[in-house]
Amino acid sequence: MMQKLGDFKLPAFFNYPPYFTLQPVRDTREKQIQLWKELILDYCRTQKVFLILLEEEFPLFSNPVIERSLNNEARETFLSALVSEGRAEWLDKGHRKCLILWHRIQDWADIILGFVKDNGLEDSVMTVEEIRLGIESRGTELHGMDRTILMRALKLLEHKGKVAIFKGTSADDEGVKFSV
Amino acid sequence: MRRRPGIGGLQSAAVARDQYRLLGENVAKLRTDLMKEQLATFRSQLEDFARKHKNDIRKNPTFRSQFHEMCAKVGVDPLASNKGFWAELLGIGDFYYELGVQIVEICLATRPHNGGLINLQELCNLLRQRRKSNREAVSEDDCLRAISKLKVLGNGYEVISVGKKKLVRSVPTELNKDHNQILELAQAQGFVTVDEVERRLSWTSGRAIDALDILLEEGLAMVDDGHRDRKRRYWFPCASSISSSMGADS
Repeated sequence: MMQKLGDFKLPAFFNYPPYFTLQPVRDTREKQIQLWKELILDYCRTQKVFLILLEEEFPLFSNPVIERSLNNEARETFLSALVSEGRAEWLDKGHRKCLILWHRIQDWADIILGFVKDNGLEDSVMTVEEIRLGIESRGTELHGMDRTILMRALKLLEHKGKVAIFKGTSADDEGVKFSV
Repeated sequence: MRRRPGIGGLQSAAVARDQYRLLGENVAKLRTDLMKEQLATFRSQLEDFARKHKNDIRKNPTFRSQFHEMCAKVGVDPLASNKGFWAELLGIGDFYYELGVQIVEICLATRPHNGGLINLQELCNLLRQRRKSNREAVSEDDCLRAISKLKVLGNGYEVISVGKKKLVRSVPTELNKDHNQILELAQAQGFVTVDEVERRLSWTSGRAIDALDILLEEGLAMVDDGHRDRKRRYWFPCASSISSSMGADS
């Protein structure tokens, strides 16, 4: 019987106590890390989680059914493995905040381009907040996405000459002109 | 008439000996011929039986197992080759060949988790899950036969007994008596502690830790430091089932 977190199906290893202890034997640890990396990415992708704060209770880090929790070292090890693969980024030197890139920045950039084409926005202007939370983006992956990640994707596109970012009327909302 | 020990007497004794020897050989030949004939009759009766009960043999694991025993008594191995009368008649060679392939696949797929040692019962369960759509039921006996055929593939694929359980080993790891005893202890709860090993087997802690370290290195065990009693547990995936949820121990 598969355990679930909300409607997310947890893999079998999540119920096996030793997987919550960082394994000392290298080969075993590598397999363990691989399983946890996949689980974290899958969970974040389906639940639209963009940020993990190590010191807070993240549902994946504990399993009350078997009374086990990942300690800090284990959490940092698994997230660092994702960072090494370009699937996450530390936002602070102390490694307490981790941005999860279940889509890579390049992928987000492609999704934005697709969104622009699908909605005929080739020469339009939108604010960043509109992209993230506006009506047009409803039903797409862009809706509700993390602002930091969105800015990074837009900056990548700006670098390629596909968009121009400029300061908007309000202090913290920028505008984007698409020249796709 | 009294035999005289002269040359003539010796010659006739030699002739007599020869004649007895010939007779003896004939008798032996007769016996062998008779046996061969009986065996041939028995074999053809077995073939008739197999033909008549082909479906039962395919569908019923218990019947199949008894059929194998009968064959073994007559010196017939239906699995000896994939071709030939038996394989063609029963298609049994294919059945075990297919099982063997599936067993290898399951062992490879579960190796990252259990280090190459899997409980026979769990292997059978996983096999049955894979073959759900297949009408032909599979028993542990079938698994054992398929595995014994796999042995010709070389290293690994051996069935070892640990206490009352059977484990299938698909890697060349050599396990000594100390390792086996720990594996046996682990069958009860799926894990052991150093204390438990020392206590139950009357070992020194050095001996316990050495053996456990090797089992860890071989990927047959994993450590668990998360219990509230703070004692390190050594879990053995081959002693639990992945397919069912593995429990809390409290």
